[in-house]
Parts: sequence; C-alpha cells; structure tokens
Amino acid sequence: MSSPHSDVKGDAAAYVLGSLDPDERAIFEAHLAGCEECAAEVRALRTVTDALAYTVPQRTPRPELRQRALASLAGAPAMPPRLRRVESLMPRWLPLAATLVLALGVAVYAARLQTRVAGLEARLEQALVQASAADRAVADARRVSAELQSAMGVLAAPDLVRIDLAGQPTAPQASARALWSRVRGMVFTASNLPPLPAGRVYQVWVVTGPAPVSAGLLNPDASGGGLTFFSTPPDIPPPMAVAVTLEPAGGVPAPTGQFYLLGMPGAAL
Amino acid sequence: MMMGLLAAAAGFRSESAETQAEDRDCLQRLAGGDSDAAGRLYDRHARAIYSLVLRIVADEGDAEDVVQEVFAQAWRQAARYDASRGAVGAWLLMMARTRAIDRLRARRARPGQQTIEDGHAFDLPAGTPDPAKGMIDAEQARQVQRALNELPLLQRLAIELAYYEGLTQREIAVRLEEPLGTVKTRIRLGLLKLRDALAEGPS
Repeated sequence: MSSPHSDVKGDAAAYVLGSLDPDERAIFEAHLAGCEECAAEVRALRTVTDALAYTVPQRTPRPELRQRALASLAGAPAMPPRLRRVESLMPRWLPLAATLVLALGVAVYAARLQTRVAGLEARLEQALVQASAADRAVADARRVSAELQSAMGVLAAPDLVRIDLAGQPTAPQASARALWSRVRGMVFTASNLPPLPAGRVYQVWVVTGPAPVSAGLLNPDASGGGLTFFSTPPDIPPPMAVAVTLEPAGGVPAPTGQFYLLGMPGAAL
Repeated sequence: MMMGLLAAAAGFRSESAETQAEDRDCLQRLAGGDSDAAGRLYDRHARAIYSLVLRIVADEGDAEDVVQEVFAQAWRQAARYDASRGAVGAWLLMMARTRAIDRLRARRARPGQQTIEDGHAFDLPAGTPDPAKGMIDAEQARQVQRALNELPLLQRLAIELAYYEGLTQREIAVRLEEPLGTVKTRIRLGLLKLRDALAEGPS
C-alpha cells in the first residue's frame, strides 16, 4: 500500500541525495512507482546531483592507477589491495562520544562563516574588476571553498569533541567554542572579544602538554566575533585545554600575553 | 566570468553530446570484449571519478582503491548498461559516489559493526531515465557551483553533509541540533534552488 502524496512529497530531494533512512526510502520508492509528480521531481533533481559531481576540485590520479583499473578487466586477478594502514589510535569510545555531542553551536559558527565568506566574496568581486587580479581572485575563492570543506569535515568527524571557553577577567563578556577532531582539525568560533589594541592580535592555543601549540591567529570583526580553522597535526594528543591570549601582531611561538579565553573539554567527553 | 575562471583554473572537464555517444559506443564494444574501449573510457572519466572520490574519502590510497572498484564494476556491468538510464559519465560517477560513501561509513563505523547505523550500505536510486536531461556540461556544473555559493549557509551545509559525507537527514539533524523537519526543508529548498539555476541556464 503506497503512502499518500502529501506524506512523502518533500522526500524527493533527500532521496536523490541518498539521504533517506532505509525505511523512509522504501516508503518513498513504493510511492514513487505510482506518482508521476514525484517521479518528475526526482528526474529534475537528479540533474542537480549529477552536476554536483563535477563541482569538486579536479585532481589527476597517479598514472599507475590506470593499469590497476584495467587489470581487473583482463580477467587477471586484480592487483592485491595495498596494505592497510595501521589502525587508528583513536580511542574506541570517541565515536560514541561524538554521537553524544549534540549542542554544537552551529548557528553561531555558521553565521561567522557566512560573514567571512561574504567578506571574501566581496573582495573577490572587487579583485575581478581588474583583470590583472584574476590569480588572486582564484586563490581567494579556493580558500573560501577549502575553508568550508574543512569546517564541514570537522562537523562530520567521527571523533568530535566540544570545548567551551569562558571569558577571563580581561574579557568577562567574551565566549568561544572549539569543535575538535583529531582526524579532521578544529573549528574555533569566538564572540564578544574586546577590540584589539594597535599592533596586537588574539592567538589561539591548544594545550596538550607542557608547551601549548599555536592554533592560529584571530582577528575579531567589529562585534568581537571571529572564526579560525586549525588543521590538526597527525601526532597531537587530544587537548586538555584551549586558550586565547593577546599577543604582538604576527603571533608568537609560545604564549606571552594575558589570557582572554580558557576552556577544557567537558567531563562527559 | 568569475566561475569561468574558476572552472578553467580547476582544469574542468565534462561531457559533450559527442563524447557521450562515444562513451556508449565504448561500453558496447567493451561488453563485446574490446579491451581498448576500456582504456578510452578510463582516460575520459578517471579524473572526474578520482576527484569526486578523493573529495569524499579524503585519502589518496582509499580513493585509488575506490576508483579501481568502480571500474571493475563498470566492466562487469557494461553489457547491462542501459542508455536510457542516462549519460555514461553520470552512471560512473553515481557508482563512484556510492562506493566512496560506503567506504567512508565503514571507516566511521564503530568496531564490530558493519556500518554506522544498522548495517545497511549506502545506496543511491537508479539512474536518470532521460539521457538528454541527464547530460551535464561544463556550463551546467558552473551554474550549480555558482548557485551553491549563493545558498544560505545552513542549506548548503545540509546538502554538502548529505552529498559528500553521506549523512542521512536524521544524522544531519542530530549533528546540527535541529528538528528533522527543518533539515528536510533546508535540503529540499536548497536542491530546488540549484535545480532552478540549472533550468534557467546561463545568467
């Protein structure tokens, strides 16, 4: 028995993306077989998912891959799969922990990212007015795209840890949140930071041992908000704390200034 | 102009009607045992496939494994390929995305479990039953890219989490801490905007 159109008409989009749960998908397919309206929407949206495949940055595979791919045709046994890498050192409980991390503060993060993307896009448009600036424009656009991709990768990471930072006496109104994934990196969003004095910059630190590791510089916008993305070095342990200090412009190798924000992972994680 | 530059910079390559006819011819001859045809298919599509897979699995070794699997599957299924299901390139890319996300989900799965949820493999619906509509050219991909850039960020995020990370609507709702209905609406509105951008043609 097929479901009424009104129950499933919104599902075509998720269906073509492969984003329905198995039971939802079965229900939608049963309906689809007898509903021309939904079938038409699926056909139209399929062109979108087909096109999305071509929007990724194009990379040339290694020449050796051609032989491997063609070998499986010749009836010859396919080349042995390459040796698996050593199993991840990620603790077993981390994926479970990730599913428990519900309050991601994504709206704040998204708003920051939106502002940043809008800013970069405006610069991009400006740069494009001068043909000679085309190279820089392409680099800017790639950075926007890479930043979004990295941030999205963090959100989807299996080992996500959330660290909320509280404003210190220097900036009691300030707050920040770090979403940390050992495998994908860290997205850091801050709000209500005081305006920077001339020649100074905020620097984000990840504390994993005696010597904090710099996670990048933060130039807050007019409202004191900022976002930075940090690629996690592969051999770094999970942070015991994340902190923000005020430092000389350009940043320093080890913290020297006053703490503005400080936070530690919650006990549940 | 902006996207033209970007596409040129990315070394963009896509399908014309002519290469599609050649693709179909290659598949037919492949099904008949012509191995040169396989090399030509590989040369035409490996870059797009590898790029998509690499974007999804984010590991060059895994991406190579998946590309090999995709072509092995294509060789096996060449005789059964039905031209009414759409362009050969789209067919290959759909297999590539399915396999890449399977691998991603397996990698994310907890130890001892087959996949992250209930053991079901990521599965995409069958191809476009209209070859003319299923054809994607460089201009269309640029339109979609441009429209994607203009989407509200949360719509884009939901679509990309589904498309590149293989998350279901339900998983996206949990991660974004939003009601499932909101995520459904975002995904639908976002995709419809992308479809409109494609339908409108060059702006």
